[in-house]
Amino acid sequence: MSLSSNTEPATSHPGNAPSALVVSKARVAYPDGPDVRVVLDDLDLSVSPGEIVVISGESGAGKSTLLTIAGLLRRPDSGEVTVAGIPTSALSERQLTVVRRDHLAFVYQSANLLPSLTAVEQLELVGHIRGEKPSTMRARALETLAAVDLADRANQLPSQLSGGERQRVGIARALMASPSVLIADEPTASLDPERAAVVAELLAGAAAANGIATIIVAHDTAALAHADRHLRLEGGRLHEFARTV
Amino acid sequence: MFLALRDLRRGSRRFALLGAVIALVAVLSTVLSGLATGLVTDGISGLRALPLDRLALQEGAQATFSRSALQPEVLEPFEQLDGVEVTPLGASFVNAAANNGGLSLDLALFGIAPESFLVTRNDASDALHGEPGLILGSELADEGVKVGDRYTLVGSDIELPVLGFTFAGTYGHAPIAFTSLETWQRVQFGDSAKGRLSAVALKGGDPADINAAAKAAGVEVITKSAAYAGSPGFTAETTTMSLIRSFLLVISALVIGAFFTVLTVQRTRQIGLLKAMGASNAYVLRDGIGQMTILVALATAAGVLVGAALIALVGGSGAPVELNLAAIATVAGSLVVAGVLGSLVAFRRITQIEPAIALGVES
Repeated sequence: MSLSSNTEPATSHPGNAPSALVVSKARVAYPDGPDVRVVLDDLDLSVSPGEIVVISGESGAGKSTLLTIAGLLRRPDSGEVTVAGIPTSALSERQLTVVRRDHLAFVYQSANLLPSLTAVEQLELVGHIRGEKPSTMRARALETLAAVDLADRANQLPSQLSGGERQRVGIARALMASPSVLIADEPTASLDPERAAVVAELLAGAAAANGIATIIVAHDTAALAHADRHLRLEGGRLHEFARTV
Repeated sequence: MFLALRDLRRGSRRFALLGAVIALVAVLSTVLSGLATGLVTDGISGLRALPLDRLALQEGAQATFSRSALQPEVLEPFEQLDGVEVTPLGASFVNAAANNGGLSLDLALFGIAPESFLVTRNDASDALHGEPGLILGSELADEGVKVGDRYTLVGSDIELPVLGFTFAGTYGHAPIAFTSLETWQRVQFGDSAKGRLSAVALKGGDPADINAAAKAAGVEVITKSAAYAGSPGFTAETTTMSLIRSFLLVISALVIGAFFTVLTVQRTRQIGLLKAMGASNAYVLRDGIGQMTILVALATAAGVLVGAALIALVGGSGAPVELNLAAIATVAGSLVVAGVLGSLVAFRRITQIEPAIALGVES
């Protein structure tokens, strides 16, 4: 895969499928002493179901800010974020929480598992938050864990799992939510190349199998190998690096 | 409480310290409650056991028998009321020296008419009708006092035999004793008693009629429970105990509030993570409040059990402590409520945690 620079903002997949996520004219600025620092400057991004978009950029470019906007963890100063066809700018905080619960999931750099829950309980928690029945919750959680090849580690606490296993539990937890959009923040950065490749493969497989629009912030080749699009965040906007065919 | 229960079970060491502090506060509160109940009993159990509803005392006596000296004429307006039982009552503290060289006794001496409604046993009535003497609280029999022992009342130098024993009780921390009203008047006023009494005991009747009669007699009428305040030291003791218990509740509320604030700060990212997963503020709060309530309830229950055991142990040695289930239930309930109130400060922080913190982004 070759990476070539492209200065044209090219943030939309040319396919015909309706986008699962559309960020439109999003602007975020922070006060910076007497000045204002614009982190996202009328940024546009759309991701189709099953598509994997990898975003990279220099430290401080605004990648995490973009993920929080796309993940409805905070609102942009202006602009619109549409998730699964639902425009969110006019929604109340409570409604925003419901959209997040029903359509979004996150995979974090450090897995972010809850230390007092076993692997299977990490997944059950997702069902519990969604008000699922305990009986179906447990069965679905075990099934999802098996899908990431961790059925035999179901009753282990995070402290009893390796880094790669923890990250796979994190992915399983995200899949448990059956999301329309999956947002991953450097999911392979803390793993050795071999484990990073496994985790990236899992994410890509899940996106394809379940039609999940996936945004991954990453710099390593493991994630880039599965990218449908690779975008670079610079100057508050996304620029297409290259398209993987 | 999916997360709360597992957190408590698997993070037990983290919660052990707070649990121990709450349990110790519960032990202290329970023992103090036992002491308060015991002191109340020691102060007024004798008066409480008397079958009367109200007392008429001299105006301005402030429920204190020693400040009340009434003429027998005050009885008349009350005696004219229908459905009211009326009897004169004398009450004072005396020191009785044993003629056989035994221990002298401090007594709360009540003078009562042998035929009055205050005397519920025929044998007691017969005894009071006979030769002058003392009927003592039964706890003094346990201390070796026997029927027929003779005591000289210090001050009046009147010598009285022990006629018998009645229910155990105290007033002003002194064991109760009964004698005939006539004997009490002789002890209190010598030959110039002129029928004087400390109070009029009343049972039954319409309060409005009784108040009108009190006005006519020029006395004030108080309920039996209001009369407890006249027991020496009663108000000071109960106020002190209430104050200490209130401080303990405030301290526990602050300790629990501080602990959960620290815990919430430590768990900021976890709470952000839950919110990022779509958990509402209500969900996260339910989990936190549930966790705190379980912890406080378990620790309080353990502390109350230890406290009750201590009361049972110490109570046997004669200390003024008493196990009262209602009082202990109040202590336990108050501690749980104090815990919930204390933790509300921490829970306010929970609602302010942004989900973006899950991605390490501060807003």
